[in-house]
Amino acid sequence: MLRAATVILRKDLRLRLRDRSVLLFAFVIPLALTFVFSQLFPTQEDFELTAGVVDLDGDDVAAGFTQGVVAALVDDGLVDATTFEDEAGARAAVEDGDIAAAWILPAGFSADVSAGDGGEIRVLVNPDRALSAEVARGIADGYRAELDRISLVVATSATAAQGALSGSQLEEIAELAVAQAPAVSTTELIAPDQQLDPTSYLAAGMAVFFLFFTVTFGITGFLEERQQGTLQRLLAAPIGIGTVHLGKAMGAFVLGIVSMTVLAIASATMLDASWGDPVGVAVLIVAGVISALGVMAFVGSFARTAEQAGNLQSIVALVFGLAGGVFFPIGAGTLGQLALVSPHGWFLRGLGDLVGSDSWTAVLPATAALVAFGVVFAVPGALRMRRETA
Amino acid sequence: MSDLLTCVGLERSFGDLKAVQGVSFSVAVGETYGLLGPNGAGKTTCISMIAGLLDPDAGEVTVAGQAMGPRASAAKNDVGLVPQELAIYPDLSARENLDFFARLYGLDTARRKRRVDEVLEVIGLTDRAGDRAGTYSGGMKRRLNIGIGMLHEPKLLILDEPTVGVDPQSRNAILESVETLATDGMGVLYTTHYMEEAERLCDRIGIIDQGTLVAEGTRRELVGMIGEQDVVRLKTVGDVQAAEAACAVVEGVSSTDVEEDTVVCLVDEAAPRLPALLAAVGATDADVSGVEVREPDIEDVFLHLTGKALRD
Ligand SMILES: Nc1ncnc2c1ncn2[C@@H]1O[C@H](COP(=O)(O)OP(=O)(O)OP(=O)(O)O)[C@@H](O)[C@H]1O
Ligand SMILES: [Mg+2]
Repeated sequence: MLRAATVILRKDLRLRLRDRSVLLFAFVIPLALTFVFSQLFPTQEDFELTAGVVDLDGDDVAAGFTQGVVAALVDDGLVDATTFEDEAGARAAVEDGDIAAAWILPAGFSADVSAGDGGEIRVLVNPDRALSAEVARGIADGYRAELDRISLVVATSATAAQGALSGSQLEEIAELAVAQAPAVSTTELIAPDQQLDPTSYLAAGMAVFFLFFTVTFGITGFLEERQQGTLQRLLAAPIGIGTVHLGKAMGAFVLGIVSMTVLAIASATMLDASWGDPVGVAVLIVAGVISALGVMAFVGSFARTAEQAGNLQSIVALVFGLAGGVFFPIGAGTLGQLALVSPHGWFLRGLGDLVGSDSWTAVLPATAALVAFGVVFAVPGALRMRRETA
Repeated sequence: MSDLLTCVGLERSFGDLKAVQGVSFSVAVGETYGLLGPNGAGKTTCISMIAGLLDPDAGEVTVAGQAMGPRASAAKNDVGLVPQELAIYPDLSARENLDFFARLYGLDTARRKRRVDEVLEVIGLTDRAGDRAGTYSGGMKRRLNIGIGMLHEPKLLILDEPTVGVDPQSRNAILESVETLATDGMGVLYTTHYMEEAERLCDRIGIIDQGTLVAEGTRRELVGMIGEQDVVRLKTVGDVQAAEAACAVVEGVSSTDVEEDTVVCLVDEAAPRLPALLAAVGATDADVSGVEVREPDIEDVFLHLTGKALRD
């Protein structure tokens, strides 16, 4: 079975190499688009959040934010912070567009947090500046999450000590914990899945976007065989339909892997992009190709002709690509969650995780999600195709 | 038993349409068997079941003693199929097309090279072997289509209307190569709706109509079925349908049909019936402009058996 499938694979690759559209989709267009977009897109150094800070609390937990987190971001050149006396002043500045967002630390904030009783940082945003708004919220959420972690530590110590600690001792522990943890790293705050620099992000986004087109040649190739009558001939030979499917899948797989690898290398050498640790990238590429194969096989199983398949697949590739944020980076908020309904989003997130970590194993969650995508779609797709041709 | 192919009670429906109903026949080793029938008779459907592309609803196919079916690798290896529609890769050259299928059938390197060269020679494409098949003429594509079927030297070669849409010269070349293969001992199953091809090539002919095998035998046996009858062809001017209706009721006429402007009558004996036929047509709006009398052929057998012409 494998021998015959390989014969089909070799024939298909030969045909594909003669067909310039594959080269165009798999290599030329993604690189060209990456180049064009990277010229349009602001680099991360250019991004600066102009924000206001209103500290109505004045106690230590609030100071942890204003003097810890915000000050660190100011030092990194990511935030330009202005202090306001009251909320009205900050609101006016946001409305006038002087600042993009403002953090309000309400009176009693520190006390509420210490009492384990909520404590919210309010964020005023200018809705016209969505990216800044997203980042400002992310920073506030990040600090809150960190505080929750700390109160958990405090609560746990209290329980462990079986009430042997006095109130003031608890407070000390809390202060210690706050002091130890300016904790929330700036990269994490900017948005967890955007740690790739913009050019690399774009290059990877374009590559995975076009990957979903490249693998369609496997499915449309199968439908073409049916249309041009050669499928009959293949089936008259001593091989089963499964062998034909296997050959086609192998062909699409090889093409997908080659295209992604070439794009990773080409964007690194020609556009100065970097996708991260090669082992992690390789694992993600394989998983990405599997997901693309599965999704596109499923979509293709609804088509009667190669042309229909091409149209359906284009729509799906476009929707998933958009949702996954291949054209513009999506922040950590709701949109960021939405990206994870798309294999594209997972692929980019995997690369982000990889950059944020020093081990290639950081890609494993994204890898698992991608493979799951592939399998969940491939199985009904294969069943449908089998029934169709029976 | 010297039967290469046996079909027993083949049946296949598509929805409500019974494309093939109860077809049984066999082809002996080295024999050339013709399936002759009009468009839609069920020839291709039969062949798809024989080649293991289609599961029959009922009945079975045996090739060289092995049961045939979509997963019957051994049986498939003994069969070469030349599909009715062209089934070649237009972006590959003739040599690449042949080489691909030779690999698919698992021919080893030496045999593959030898067979590809041999087949290119047989189909007369050696000179153009390196050109893309898409650039070939219709006849050349047909020949390549046939070449792929014989490549792995099957025991049984199935050709499904291989000469459709081919110029007379290419057609003759195709018929000659089939004759050569048959002489070399290959069994051949050949479908056509051209009586002349069936008569020229086939040892035996099965006549198929509306999914049923209506008669089977050598040419002589088939013609013998309609007995000592004659064929009278009346070329008419005017309402040919009315002329046919008039002829049909003349005494001694067993069946009639219309081919373009000609009424074809099967009669017990031509000479005594001619005056009555001419008179019958004369009584209608039509006039007779020419008369031909001849011995019956297989086309007339078809007319006799089904009441209609093989080609319409
Ligand atoms: N896949 C199919 N689905 C539905 N109907 C079919 C299918 N294949 C064949 N048929 C129908 O079955 C009947 C027999 O078709 P078949 O192709 O076997 O005829 P044929 O004798 O080969 O005709 P031709 O000389 O035109 O090739 C026709 O009415 C045809 O429309
Ligand atoms: Mg046919």
